Amino acid sequence: MGILPEAAKAYIGRQSEEEVACDLVEAGQVRRYAQAIQDEDPMFGAPCAANQRFGGPVAPPLYPTHMFRRPLGAADPIQDRATDPDFDGLAATTGQTLPEIEPLRKFALLNGGSEIEFFRYARHGETVVMRSRYTDIYERETSKGPIIFVIIEGEYRTAAGEVLCRTRRTILRR
Amino acid sequence: MALGPRRDFEDVQPGEQLPRLIKGPFTSPHLMRWSAAMENWHKIHYDKPFAIEHDKLPGLLVNGSLKQQYVVQLLKDWAGTAGWVWKVNFQFRAMNLLGETLAVWGKVAELRRATHYGLVDIELGIVNDKGIESTPGKATVALPYRGGPAVPYPFVPPAA
Repeated sequence: MGILPEAAKAYIGRQSEEEVACDLVEAGQVRRYAQAIQDEDPMFGAPCAANQRFGGPVAPPLYPTHMFRRPLGAADPIQDRATDPDFDGLAATTGQTLPEIEPLRKFALLNGGSEIEFFRYARHGETVVMRSRYTDIYERETSKGPIIFVIIEGEYRTAAGEVLCRTRRTILRR
Repeated sequence: MALGPRRDFEDVQPGEQLPRLIKGPFTSPHLMRWSAAMENWHKIHYDKPFAIEHDKLPGLLVNGSLKQQYVVQLLKDWAGTAGWVWKVNFQFRAMNLLGETLAVWGKVAELRRATHYGLVDIELGIVNDKGIESTPGKATVALPYRGGPAVPYPFVPPAA
């Protein structure tokens, strides 16, 4: 008998609305991000020869995928679930409107990997928009027991519609 | 780190190893700094009792979302000022724990010629200080031809 609740499969094909990141690509946040990933490339800071080709200072390649934070006034899962012993602290970070898969709520979550296609960097001052959807949810027997695979595809664009990157993420639930 | 110098397609040979990128040893401030930068409060990266007792993990985990940054950094720096990292994929097959030092590696697998630039297929991964591979993957980097212009930016994939 498998562990994948039948009701979870109904989420396949569901997609987010087109979301607008609540903050612009902002120099201070780019600095903190670059320091956290230990890639203090000058092209992430001030205008320089290295970022001339890209039209000025840019954010690290994967930065757009981490821009979709909780805007002011939105529900606060950290407070709302403060007394829930099963709450793992994980709030939506790759989109606020892709619905949580309720039948998997009590399953632990791990990052299984990604496929990413890059087209352009996000420049300082730009707005980033994204859309994501569940493209597959299935169970597979592994050496560690049964694991549920959740596949999420996303596309990140500038407000003007230029594609920054496309992602295909694998989330593991067990 | 920073973009390396211009690297032309003709400079690359199959089997060539990319310079390894070393990160760590990882401490809790490394992981907290990353959690704060991306505003991801998943407890398995900073709440040891939760990680072990609730999620049955061996300890605090180095974020997959952080390891993927290192893979992209290795490729970006290697591609140089006129190249472009087009595609990358990787699987997180093993956990990496606090205290480990990680080496990100890459090896040129195949060279392909497209109309306006060359394509370099790369095998890659991340090994810890015990030599255990955690993040096998592949990438494709576009490099300019010698004497030619930089790879188009924004990147335009080759015709299928």
